[in-house]
Amino acid sequence: MSIVQFDNVSRIYKSGDHELRALDHVSFTLDEGKFVVILGPSGAGKSTLLNLLGGLDSPSEGTITVAGADISKLSDNELADYRASTVGFVFQFYNLIPTLTVYENVKLVSEISKNALDAKDMIDKVGLLDHLNNFPSELSGGEQQRISIARALAKNPKILLCDEPTGALDSETGVMVLGLLLDMAKNYGKTIVIVTHNQNIAKMADVVIRVKNGKIREVTEQENPLSADEVEW
Amino acid sequence: MLLRKLLRTAWSYKAQFISMIIMMTLGIGIFLGFNMEWKTIEYDVGKFFEETKYADYRMYSESGFTKDDLEKIASIDGVDAATRYLSVNLEIKGDSKKALTLDVSENYSVSIFTLISGDGYDENGDGIWLSDKFARLNNIEIGDTLTLEFQGLDIESRVVGLIKAGEHMICLADSNQVMPDFNTFGYAYISPAKLGAIIREKALNTLTDELQKAGVPADMAKEQAEAMLTDEMLTEAIDKSFPQINLISGLGKSELEEAVKEKLGRTLMVVSKDDHAVYREAMGEAKEGKTMGSILPVLFLAIAILTMVTTMHRIATQEKTQIGVLKALGFKNRTILLHYSFYGLFIGIVGAALGAVLGYFVCKLIMSENGMMGTYFDMPDWSAATPAFCYPIIAGTVLLLALISFLSVRAQLRGTAADALRPYTPKKMKKSVLEKLPFFSKMRFATKWNMRDLMRHKSRFAMTLVGIIGCMILLVGGLGMRDTMAGFLDLLDNGVSHYATKVNIVENTEREKVDHLIADLDADWESYSGISIDGYTATLDIVHNENGRLSVIDEDNKEIDLQNDGVYLCQRLSDRAKIGEYIEFSPYGGEETYRVKVVGYNRSIMTESVTMTDKYADELGIKYSVSAVYTNKDSSDIPSSDLISGKQDKKQLMDSFGSFVQIMDSMVLILVVAAVILGIVVLYNLGVMSYVERSRELATLKVLGFRSKKIGQLLISQNVWLTVIGVILGMPAGVGTLYWLITALAGEYEMKLMLGPLTYSVSILLTFGVSLLVGWMVARKNRKIDMVEALKNAE
Repeated sequence: MSIVQFDNVSRIYKSGDHELRALDHVSFTLDEGKFVVILGPSGAGKSTLLNLLGGLDSPSEGTITVAGADISKLSDNELADYRASTVGFVFQFYNLIPTLTVYENVKLVSEISKNALDAKDMIDKVGLLDHLNNFPSELSGGEQQRISIARALAKNPKILLCDEPTGALDSETGVMVLGLLLDMAKNYGKTIVIVTHNQNIAKMADVVIRVKNGKIREVTEQENPLSADEVEW
Repeated sequence: MLLRKLLRTAWSYKAQFISMIIMMTLGIGIFLGFNMEWKTIEYDVGKFFEETKYADYRMYSESGFTKDDLEKIASIDGVDAATRYLSVNLEIKGDSKKALTLDVSENYSVSIFTLISGDGYDENGDGIWLSDKFARLNNIEIGDTLTLEFQGLDIESRVVGLIKAGEHMICLADSNQVMPDFNTFGYAYISPAKLGAIIREKALNTLTDELQKAGVPADMAKEQAEAMLTDEMLTEAIDKSFPQINLISGLGKSELEEAVKEKLGRTLMVVSKDDHAVYREAMGEAKEGKTMGSILPVLFLAIAILTMVTTMHRIATQEKTQIGVLKALGFKNRTILLHYSFYGLFIGIVGAALGAVLGYFVCKLIMSENGMMGTYFDMPDWSAATPAFCYPIIAGTVLLLALISFLSVRAQLRGTAADALRPYTPKKMKKSVLEKLPFFSKMRFATKWNMRDLMRHKSRFAMTLVGIIGCMILLVGGLGMRDTMAGFLDLLDNGVSHYATKVNIVENTEREKVDHLIADLDADWESYSGISIDGYTATLDIVHNENGRLSVIDEDNKEIDLQNDGVYLCQRLSDRAKIGEYIEFSPYGGEETYRVKVVGYNRSIMTESVTMTDKYADELGIKYSVSAVYTNKDSSDIPSSDLISGKQDKKQLMDSFGSFVQIMDSMVLILVVAAVILGIVVLYNLGVMSYVERSRELATLKVLGFRSKKIGQLLISQNVWLTVIGVILGMPAGVGTLYWLITALAGEYEMKLMLGPLTYSVSILLTFGVSLLVGWMVARKNRKIDMVEALKNAE
């Protein structure tokens, strides 16, 4: 069953007379529970695609349907509600609130999400129960990203969106974080979309969407994706 | 190229640059304005006094001065000029509400006037030289005739010139009047020849009356009186009419007193210009200007400098990578430092230039003929003078701002180019003491978030508090000053004065005649005269208050039932003796010394006085004459007579405060506007800073699904907290500042601090209003936050 449908979506940035088509008439469908990797070089339009899917931005043309609802024409408040209930984000640079402790960062989402999962339980799942009262600045990069994953999943979203989640980590930590991300997403039955330029991550995906110059070049479904441990990093 | 960068960076931080320029403008403007004001008072008044030969000393003798007395005094070494002088209050015939002081400077060497239009001074002239302001307000022109009532005698004179005189620069009828009323009370000069003629006529009238009483027929009585009036009699009468000698001398007061005693063989009441109302009040105004010039500007300049420190530090940290780029490109540290120091210099120069313009207007608002002081001072020239020390202070402030920029950037330049290129890392979070308390973990997310933010940015927190406290101080101070003045006027009107008219009595009038008048008017009375307490000049106030027309009040403004066995010291004299202790005083012009017990303290509205009942004065054997009687009769129902030197109805006296209240209102308005500007500028600047610093966090909240409104509430709630703390601290600070200001600025009135509930409510509401407005302005920005952009870079 499809959960995401992009229908002829374009995102155009205007600057004076100049027009930049970051996405150009993009159409694709994603099925629920799949692990999707969007692959492409810098400036290909993959982050734009993720931002549109995450409700951080709205398309200039076309429609985006997520879980049966058209999100392309939503107001600011409706988009905020969409982000609160339907999607969870994991960023390259974690984006934890520096003035809140580990526990508070995860607990924070219960302020906006009705179906929020237990914060302590989520922190336990990412193996950082000992760091409940630490501030983000007291954790390593890998630990911060694990908290970021816990926070994203604590909202109990339908889709988990990750923008270069291992981009700021060394390869060993990156593998560990990636493994955790996949395990958690599978355990909770979430659709997971990762944007990256790392070809290796694509080997783990159920679906790989290759993007170049704002257009989709190829959508590949992989029968037997590798696990994080199987991939040669 | 770097200049272009400077201008573009300034534009990108426009909110910060504009707010720093506004703070600098306000600081320099108020600093310069008030300092120019007092300097201009000193300069213009000094020039006017010199031009009109304002007397350094005035000597008083109830029996008058002879020509011989004058010669002896003029011959004292160190006395540069001296003249016999008369200054007496007269009513204008046909209009009992208008009066003026008539002056005669016998040899015209001291206390003269400056001519504005008409004929110059003529010692034999028959005309009258009238105050130009009084003439203008009463449509009197040169050539018009004025009839004055002089102790029962009508003096008719043609106005020959319009003048201004230093002696009457602050034109007050008596010590009860606080503000001049140029419309109802003026001044005029006549020549000694004219005075001689008046005295002659008065003497002839007295003789004629006496002859008629003795049975001489009216037509013959006048002739006989003419024959009987000898030169000696006339000289004696003229001598008596000069109760004052005015002189110019550089001698010290006690030195002069000693010399006079030696020459004349008697002690005289010598009043130096420091104790003469006009000079004292003018210098008091200059002193007030100095006080204002040292307090308000310090508040504004300090806030401007602190804002600069906070803001430049923030700008430097945000510019860190740019500084790194410049360094990596090969720019020397010196060039980069110089470039960023220009930011401070630019703000300083623009702020100082605008401040100089503002300062000039503040000065002119106070010190100009149509400004606030124009309702108080009557003088010909209104300039604008700047104290020399202002220039180095302004230059120093500008350089200080450049130094602040220099130091802020130097901190970012430490280390290698690579270090500088790395983004600014905020300090690591640590748990504060507050967070270790059990209740902290139970607080809402927003509360924790805001509290930690404040702990993390202590200087921003402190600066915001300073802004709110400053705003409260100005509001409570300004509005409270108005309340206190209103309370003071109410006290004067309803608390201590229960009469309709005050009638001033000619000095040394026979007691019997005065008693008749008192009985006729059903009046109470008062006698005031100069006394010396260990060389310190004060007023002895003897009160007869049978009908309760005058009240003597205590520190709490409650009426005192005066005892007949001691004296009451006014608050200003209260440190001279404790209750139950004794003080000694001696009246001027006499040799006696009295030792009296202090039985209480009173709040004296005007004079610095020792108060006693007439019964106690009689018991002590003090010689005194009645100075004024207080009656409930209307002034127009009291006929003029030779024992009345003037009448003043209470309504007129209270009306004379009208312009004073107007000045007060303008001052309050300025303070309220300044408070609001200060509040908005400081809070907005810091609010924007805080917003920029937290934009990444705010974007994260937005990405997580927080609505803009909720994030806005989060930002505003921090402002509300800070405002609550600021208001709690600012309230007592405001009251304290007001108390200090009242003591420093109006110490001569023994005012009681009175703050109404409206002042507190308006101050609190306005401060909250400013804080919420700014909070709302900053919170609105959050709607436009670009989540993608804000989350792009690593922290």
